[in-house]
Amino acid sequence: MNQALWISKTGLSAQDTRLATISNNLANAATVGYKRDSVVFEDLLYQIRRQPGAQSSQNTQLPSGLQVGTGVRVIGTQKEFSDGSVQITEKPLDLAIVGRGFFEILMPDGSSAYSRNGQFQINADGEIVNARGLLLQPSITVPDDAQTVSISSDGIVEAQIAGQAAAQTLGNITVTNFINPTGLQSIGSNLFIETAASGSPQQGEPGIDGLGRLEQGALENSNVDVVEELVSMITTQRTYEMNSKVISTADQMLQYISQNL
Amino acid sequence: MDKAIYLAMSSGQNIMSAQAIHANNLANANTNGFQADFAQARAMGVYYGDGHQTRAYAMTENPGTDFNRGALIETGRDLDMAVVGDGWIAVQAPDGSEAYTRMGSLKMDPNGQLLTANDLPVLGDGGPISIPPADKITLGADGTITIRPAGQPPEVLSIVDRIKLVKPDYATLNKGVDGLIRRRDGEQQEPDASIRLQSGFVESSNVNPVDELTEIMTLARQFEINVKMMKVMEENSDAARQVLRSS
Repeated sequence: MNQALWISKTGLSAQDTRLATISNNLANAATVGYKRDSVVFEDLLYQIRRQPGAQSSQNTQLPSGLQVGTGVRVIGTQKEFSDGSVQITEKPLDLAIVGRGFFEILMPDGSSAYSRNGQFQINADGEIVNARGLLLQPSITVPDDAQTVSISSDGIVEAQIAGQAAAQTLGNITVTNFINPTGLQSIGSNLFIETAASGSPQQGEPGIDGLGRLEQGALENSNVDVVEELVSMITTQRTYEMNSKVISTADQMLQYISQNL
Repeated sequence: MDKAIYLAMSSGQNIMSAQAIHANNLANANTNGFQADFAQARAMGVYYGDGHQTRAYAMTENPGTDFNRGALIETGRDLDMAVVGDGWIAVQAPDGSEAYTRMGSLKMDPNGQLLTANDLPVLGDGGPISIPPADKITLGADGTITIRPAGQPPEVLSIVDRIKLVKPDYATLNKGVDGLIRRRDGEQQEPDASIRLQSGFVESSNVNPVDELTEIMTLARQFEINVKMMKVMEENSDAARQVLRSS
């Protein structure tokens, strides 16, 4: 059979994966704290059909051989942790990290997950939780008679209590960083978990040791560049079409030979 | 029966090989840093004995790789770099040998080692490059890596290493079975200080899809002509059989 069929099939499935990634990026273009994925392709191994430099007779050598590549594969997706733009919301519990780092979120099973999404709320017990109701770590409880909550750029949370002149300190929000954020595993819901590739979490005070500062009343938009995604979609579609054209050409050749001989 | 049918047969097989090369180029039309392979056919004459010299078989070979530049695509990533003009980024192949690539999308592993996107360590002045924890990594135009160490103020910068950039003579290069470019003699190339990098860009595949598709179409037609030749041989031999039967 014509090997081009199988080679172009790898091209089709690679472009398919790329389109899925692009559509996921576009679907999350308005998701707070989303980081876009990009697909990395690699050419597959080459097969040597005829060795370059082999003897074609006792005194002569083949000047060039025949090496046939076997297609393309997706070796992975890369999360891109560049900063998204900051959007001002003026809501007291909306937080954006300006710079590197993640919020630590307590999962129901007691493990930790990390997020750049700073849309926090208060639950029935006064604790600060994310939109899914999962606790922000270290946990901070806002008293029910608090008038306003203010969060400084280095993470100190203070509340103004009715009838008290001085603000009451409620706790500190920390920011966690990883040496290789690209190695974090996405688990959905804007959350990431630690892997062997990401390195271990390093907590710190916001704004210190290279960690990002906190910005109250602001949110970080996704870092999806819509124009870039649409351009990628065009190249993906055209490459897909050309690879399918190769398959139909190879098919017609086989059809021709089976009908004419 | 005329043995010319074997000429048509081997030609058909070689056309399929050439198509495989072009199909591989097309499959990699979106692979950053990919370099297209050429395919060509050569006449291999098998002339012996008496008679007219008509037996020249076709043989497909790939005489080399297209080392033309792909387009530069802006990504804005700190660790993306494209070589401007001629030149290669030196990486360490899995077997420990030195290989060259133009895939400049880099990343770091948890130990801070600088890798290409397909997990090959990037070589510096003295072997693979390790980068200490940093707030900001900048790739200079000559491959110098400057970092702002984690937690340091902006005026504290340190130079970590320099990415090994080489410019071997194209005649000495070939593509290995892993798709990486190496020197034919297996030797290491001396770094070249004249090569320039552009950070924040990657180089696209240098495949010209229109060329490749046209080539595949042309080969498909050529294949059909060869099949037609086989058919003609069959008809000839059929005609001869009829003539001989009627006598």
